[in-house]
Amino acid sequence: MSAKESSLPERLPTEAPEFSEPSRERRLEEVRRQALHTGRVTGAGIRPAGSPFPIASPEAGYYGIPLLKEPQWSWEIPVYFFAGGAAGAAAVIAEFAQMTGSKTELVNDARTVAAIGSLLAPALLVADLGMPSRFLNMLRVFKVQSPMSVGVYIVSGFGPTATLAKMANYLRGNHDGILLKMIESASGLFSALFGLGMATYTGVLIGVTAIPVWNENIDSLPTHFALSGLGAGVSAIELMGNEDSRALNMLGLAAAVGETLEGIKLEMTSKPANEPLKKGVSGVITRLGGLLSGPLPLALRIASALAGEGNSKQLRRAAAASTVAGSLFTRIGWVRAGHASARDYRLPLQLATKSTPTVAQLPNESKFAKASRQALGRHD
Amino acid sequence: MAENHPVGFQWVMQAREHGATVIHVDPRFTRTSAMSDIWVPLRSGSDIAFLGGLIHYVLENGKEFREYVTHYTNAPTILRKDMKLPDELGGLFSGWDAEKKHYSPETWGYQGEPEKRDAHTAGHASAGGGHGKDRGGEAGKVEKHDSDPTLQHPRCVFNILKKHYARYTPELVERVCGVPKDQFLKVAEAFTNASGPDKTAAICYAVGFTQHSTGVQIIRAAAILQLLLGNIGRPGGGILALRGHASIQGSTDIPTLYDILPGYIPMPFFESDAHKLEQYIEKHRSSAGWWSNFDKYIVSLLKAWYGEAATKDNDYRFEWLPRVTGDHSHFGYWIDMMEGKMDGLFIMGQNPAVGAPNGRFERSALTKLKWLVVRDFSENETAAFWHDSQEVERGQYKPEDIATEIFFFPAAAHVEKEGSYTNTQRLVQFHEKAIEPPEDCRSESWFMYHLGRRLQANAKAEPSERNAPMANLTWNYRTHGPSADPMMDDILTEINGYKVATGEPVGEYTELQNDGSTASGCWIYTGIYPKTGHNVANMRKPKDYLGHGWGFAWPSDRRILYNRASARPDGKPWSERKKLVWWDEGKKKWTGEDVPDFKEDVPPDYRPSKDADGMKAIAGDQPFIMHPDGVGWLWVTSGLKDGPLPTHFEPLEPVVPNELYPDQPHNPPAQKKERPDNPYGFPYDQRWPHVLTTYRLTEHHTGGGMSRTLSHLSELQPELFCEVSPEMAEECGLEHGAYATITSPRGIIEARVMVTDRVRPFNVQGKRIHQVGLPYHWGRRGIAVGDTVNDLLAISEEPNVRIMETKALICNIRPGRRPRGPAALEEKHAQERKTA
Amino acid sequence: MSATTAFLTDSTLCIGCKACEVACKEWNGVAEDGLNWTGFSYDNTGAVGHSTWRHVKFVEHPPEPGYGGNSGEAPASWTFSSDVCKHCENAGCLEACPTGSIVRTEFGGVYVQPDICNGCSYCVVACPFGVIQRNKEDGRAFKCTFCYDRQKAGLTPACAHACPTESIKFGKLDDLREEANRRVRELNDRGIDDAMIYDPTDTSVGGIHAIFVTRGDPKQYNLPPKPEIPTIYAKQGWRSAAIGAGILTAGTLLAFLGGNGR
Ligand SMILES: Nc1nc2c(c(=O)[nH]1)N[C@H]1C(S)=C(S)[C@@H](COP(=O)(O)OP(=O)(O)OC[C@H]3O[C@@H](n4cnc5c(=O)[nH]c(N)nc54)[C@H](O)[C@@H]3O)O[C@H]1N2
Ligand SMILES: Nc1nc2c(c(=O)[nH]1)N[C@H]1C(S)=C(S)[C@@H](COP(=O)(O)OP(=O)(O)OC[C@H]3O[C@@H](n4cnc5c(=O)[nH]c(N)nc54)[C@H](O)[C@@H]3O)O[C@H]1N2
Ligand code: SF4
Ligand code: SF4
Ligand code: SF4
Ligand code: SF4
Ligand code: SF4
Ligand SMILES: [Mo]
Repeated sequence: MSAKESSLPERLPTEAPEFSEPSRERRLEEVRRQALHTGRVTGAGIRPAGSPFPIASPEAGYYGIPLLKEPQWSWEIPVYFFAGGAAGAAAVIAEFAQMTGSKTELVNDARTVAAIGSLLAPALLVADLGMPSRFLNMLRVFKVQSPMSVGVYIVSGFGPTATLAKMANYLRGNHDGILLKMIESASGLFSALFGLGMATYTGVLIGVTAIPVWNENIDSLPTHFALSGLGAGVSAIELMGNEDSRALNMLGLAAAVGETLEGIKLEMTSKPANEPLKKGVSGVITRLGGLLSGPLPLALRIASALAGEGNSKQLRRAAAASTVAGSLFTRIGWVRAGHASARDYRLPLQLATKSTPTVAQLPNESKFAKASRQALGRHD
Repeated sequence: MAENHPVGFQWVMQAREHGATVIHVDPRFTRTSAMSDIWVPLRSGSDIAFLGGLIHYVLENGKEFREYVTHYTNAPTILRKDMKLPDELGGLFSGWDAEKKHYSPETWGYQGEPEKRDAHTAGHASAGGGHGKDRGGEAGKVEKHDSDPTLQHPRCVFNILKKHYARYTPELVERVCGVPKDQFLKVAEAFTNASGPDKTAAICYAVGFTQHSTGVQIIRAAAILQLLLGNIGRPGGGILALRGHASIQGSTDIPTLYDILPGYIPMPFFESDAHKLEQYIEKHRSSAGWWSNFDKYIVSLLKAWYGEAATKDNDYRFEWLPRVTGDHSHFGYWIDMMEGKMDGLFIMGQNPAVGAPNGRFERSALTKLKWLVVRDFSENETAAFWHDSQEVERGQYKPEDIATEIFFFPAAAHVEKEGSYTNTQRLVQFHEKAIEPPEDCRSESWFMYHLGRRLQANAKAEPSERNAPMANLTWNYRTHGPSADPMMDDILTEINGYKVATGEPVGEYTELQNDGSTASGCWIYTGIYPKTGHNVANMRKPKDYLGHGWGFAWPSDRRILYNRASARPDGKPWSERKKLVWWDEGKKKWTGEDVPDFKEDVPPDYRPSKDADGMKAIAGDQPFIMHPDGVGWLWVTSGLKDGPLPTHFEPLEPVVPNELYPDQPHNPPAQKKERPDNPYGFPYDQRWPHVLTTYRLTEHHTGGGMSRTLSHLSELQPELFCEVSPEMAEECGLEHGAYATITSPRGIIEARVMVTDRVRPFNVQGKRIHQVGLPYHWGRRGIAVGDTVNDLLAISEEPNVRIMETKALICNIRPGRRPRGPAALEEKHAQERKTA
Repeated sequence: MSATTAFLTDSTLCIGCKACEVACKEWNGVAEDGLNWTGFSYDNTGAVGHSTWRHVKFVEHPPEPGYGGNSGEAPASWTFSSDVCKHCENAGCLEACPTGSIVRTEFGGVYVQPDICNGCSYCVVACPFGVIQRNKEDGRAFKCTFCYDRQKAGLTPACAHACPTESIKFGKLDDLREEANRRVRELNDRGIDDAMIYDPTDTSVGGIHAIFVTRGDPKQYNLPPKPEIPTIYAKQGWRSAAIGAGILTAGTLLAFLGGNGR
């Protein structure tokens, strides 16, 4: 008998000796078939994939135990993505604003946002690692093939430059000096360059992993994160009292439009790997993030453009606030989606996602099955 | 075997990879079945029907190894006219004493045999166990009898066998064992085709065979089958008992059993064995065959024990040996304990609170002791019975009410002491001490030696008739090491045996004498320490595939017993492929790959004279030299308490009537030990309609003292579970993973439910029989804790070796957890009150 | 790389005794990680992780009376397979590790240097087999070391050494690849034609140093049909990042030039 022929139904008849109660045998047989084809039955004693108790089979994987390991990052990491993104964008804005000679307040605030972010970022990383010294382990090598390694140098570059730029910018505020100006623009330039990295690399970081929902969106993730960072950066500066800058408004609009398009794209594409972006807690958060950083600010900004002097400020403030929140939610949402995606054993096993619901999603899962899998979750 | 002898199983795997067919007969589909080619599920407790079926198949289809059977077995032997078979007496052999529930082997004898027998014939004492040499009537004086080499005579063993197993047809096997005919025939063909002059087949068994009220007869049936197929005494053949604890074989050779002395010498009995040595010898020595040397071994043993004090004129102090006065088996004395007849008890390397059947009985009996000594690694369930037990939980007794004084001694583990293991193959392997035991942990030898030393000092202090044996015991081993362990060399020298005059070790048991000039602690081990300082059991250089040069296999490093049978009657090998030992015409001696298990210089054509006795009475073509008639016994003339031929009976707690002998549901002489604290269900009791069977898991060891206390093993099987078929789960509403409560007439426990197709119902006599499988390792102590399965089992005794029935009992099962505390008892009583 | 050592774990020889799992924990001093009865056949430890480096999987299908698990005439019934780190030819964990803690040893194994690992746990999401994992208490990542210490001392890895049936074969990668092919041919000849080799050489992982012979679809042993090393996504990733950076630069520039300073 070959592997294919050996499917369950064919060998069931031999299970039933003629003289046993055939009715009961037939019932069992029926139940097992049902199990094989629908992937679940209700009978207490029987336990095919997903029915009260999971099994191991080519159709069902290995007892619904996740194949991949979930990310083990603490809450600091999504926040880091957010702060880094905003700060990165802010650094860019500061630099160009200064070049194009826009209002010093705007430049100052942009530098402030960049600087704060640039200091927050490593702090959050260290917090995740546990002890500062562990951060240094990453500086003993440089690996282009490792986005995290590359990222570490971006962070390490961004921090000092952005801070230095702000310090120079701050001191300059009181007594004007050519030297300080040079320092600011030089370090500013570098911080802008690193800033571009800050705003984008985190997308690469999670994209270049085995987690399906991340690596299957690798083409858009970095851009997505860049826009999200831009929106957040712009909005932060705006909220510091620059609601009147047309340039910022245009940037804000651009980011909102971009995020809206990204959102539409995600909603349109329905591949199994993207389930976590729509279903479950991660789904809610990412969608909320999308709404807050795309359509909503877009509408508000348009509204503010049309609105009279009075309301337009409020409306832009609202738009900005929503964008900042949206950016944060977006990062949290994506990281959480990564967790759900790792748990979904169907993807790496290339199992039919329709007939094999992830055990976690099963309404009728036996509390003992749940207990078992939770017990095995002990590994982390 | 994969489950419980994984390391040994590597050889089965290798055989399989070399093309051997592996057959597994087991009610459940286990890790062993998963490795085998043929798995046949049979209902627990129906092995004799199955093996009988195979015997029937062989005889019906003339598949027997004719030349082997006619020359090397007692098939031609003609039996007495007055012998009657169960078919004639409704399930009983002739000689049954209905009210004593006891057989007299008188009518089982050979025709023309001089000996007169009765119920006191050696091996039949009611109190006696069946471990001694007298099992299988090795004391019988049966060398002279009528026989018919043509196997035509209607009363020759061969035809009696045919008659007895005539009804064990494939159809009957199907009805009794629940094994469909085609599956049975598949096994029958595979097994018989694997036997013959250039082929052999082996049967491995362990407690799936032994732990039944018919255990010994199940193994007998396997032996008959192997004799018929010529699979005994030949390489790749045999019936192999896969033993249990690491040196359980060693503890039968140098026994921890009540009914034998070292080397399978029977323990003297108070009533039946005279108090004089010569009468004792007269009774147990056989006139023909190797056991004609019996006197040499008992005398050498007495010399080893009583040394100087043992002389010819004082019968070598034979009267100093204790006498068996009743059933002193585990259950025998445990019942005495329950009845308050025992003051104290030593328990070393045992955990009966978990491991022994009817746990409630076992633990409760301990409360009747004045004192209890436990030597173990940790305070196991047996040592903790008084403060942490099911009974305490249920409020049956309170710690403060228990007077038993408990002494707990920490034991040294095997790596913390030197010593030896004797395995299934009788191979003794010595092991050195790897590390010193921690703190107060001490080896068994340390404990026994120093305890003995102190007792002897007391005995010497107050001389008296009673103290004489203790005072004169040879107990003078040198000690060494930080904790003054006795010297292994001294112990080995005593076991091996030495010349009394010089103290020189003897080289061979053939050198032992009956005149007191030699001493030997265990004659079969002689040769293990042939020269001072030369410990053969410690050698590790195998020279050949049989492993000579690695360890010591008693007797005299023979790797395969009765290996004379591996050559044809004329002394030539049966085949090139299966040659082992053969007669070298040139050198005029037996030679070959193994140490010949035969008198080296007796040629194949030697024929004894009429009045020859001793080994001289064994012809050159009679390989089974321990038997007075020199052949393998299809028919056992005496020494078996439940009949000369294996016969199918249902377990002591049957779920169906005995298809073959309705009047005799279970093995007649088997003892139920039924009493209020060891109750049984009625036959076919509807309150407990399912079959209960118990077994082991690879991940744990027996009572769990060595596994449930270790984190790395506990995590592998953390909880007690029961295995049931999907069909049963459907019927009883059991949910996989949930809890179920299992009851029996004895107790109530709970376990997680494992619904699996590896367990299946059986169709027996048209009835659908469900089976609940339970691994029995759990108890309340250690890391992985759980209910004790043995609370469900009954104390019972197989008539010959007094093993309990653990594989086939009755139970009921329902979803949900068991009640806690006193309620647990309530539920059980309610169960009992329900009318059947 | 003939110096490259490897495992061939043959589930058709595995009796599911778990000696390998215990031996590994004993040798490497890995602690027990919870007493949980799962009901997943006889598997109560679930998967490899930071606290279980060898793990024996149990796959059950209804057996057929009359046929044992080794019979070619009946489908696979109860099979066991001992899982372990695959020591990938191209190892996701190794490439991802920003500290260089994960290295390729002289035996071709993938080894985590505990003194360098900083617990960033990037390797965890980079392993396509869900093997390596970070220990919360300790903070660092752990997995099978391929018994680097034993191999250096010329010993076989503890798991292979403990295996009673040689289901875990340890040897030179090239030899074991041959052996695997020979074995599967042999099993097919015996009628066991659902025996197959698991060694994803055709994916970006480029083959593994812990090859498996399984009965039936590797999926049921949680072995992914098409494991990929994440670095294959890097190119797209950085491209997209460049676009993002471009948009950012261009956008800002335009905005400020257009918005000329305001
Ligand atoms: N891992 C491990 N190894 C051990 C032990 C341990 O506890 N754990 N214990 C050691 C000891 S003390 C011993 S005695 C041996 C025992 O070794 P085994 O005899 O292998 O022990 P069991 O598992 O009790 O019984 C074997 C099989 O008998 C089957 N069986 C039940 N009823 C019947 C029946 O009526 N007929 C037949 N043919 N089979 C039946 C059971 O399903 C079970 O699979 O193992 C030794 N080795
Ligand atoms: N239901 C059911 N019951 C059974 C069986 C069954 O199949 N089913 N099997 C029966 C069989 S075959 C057996 S053998 C018994 C086994 O059951 P028990 O005879 O109770 O044996 P263990 O539980 O192994 O207890 C051995 C104890 O010795 C300790 N020990 C280990 N090594 C040493 C040492 O060197 N010195 C000392 N002093 N102690 C040591 C261990 O820690 C352990 O606590 O169970 C029997 N009971
Ligand atoms: S525990 Fe010891 S005796 Fe039992 S199988 Fe393993 S090695 Fe052999
Ligand atoms: S299996 Fe995972 S952990 Fe092991 S080497 Fe491959 S990538 Fe690394
Ligand atoms: S956790 Fe340790 S091993 Fe894993 S990537 Fe980070 S540093 Fe490397
Ligand atoms: S190689 Fe060593 S570390 Fe790896 S699984 Fe085997 S024993 Fe454990
Ligand atoms: S030790 Fe060998 S046989 Fe036992 S489980 Fe591990 S791989 Fe299988
Ligand atoms: Mo045993």
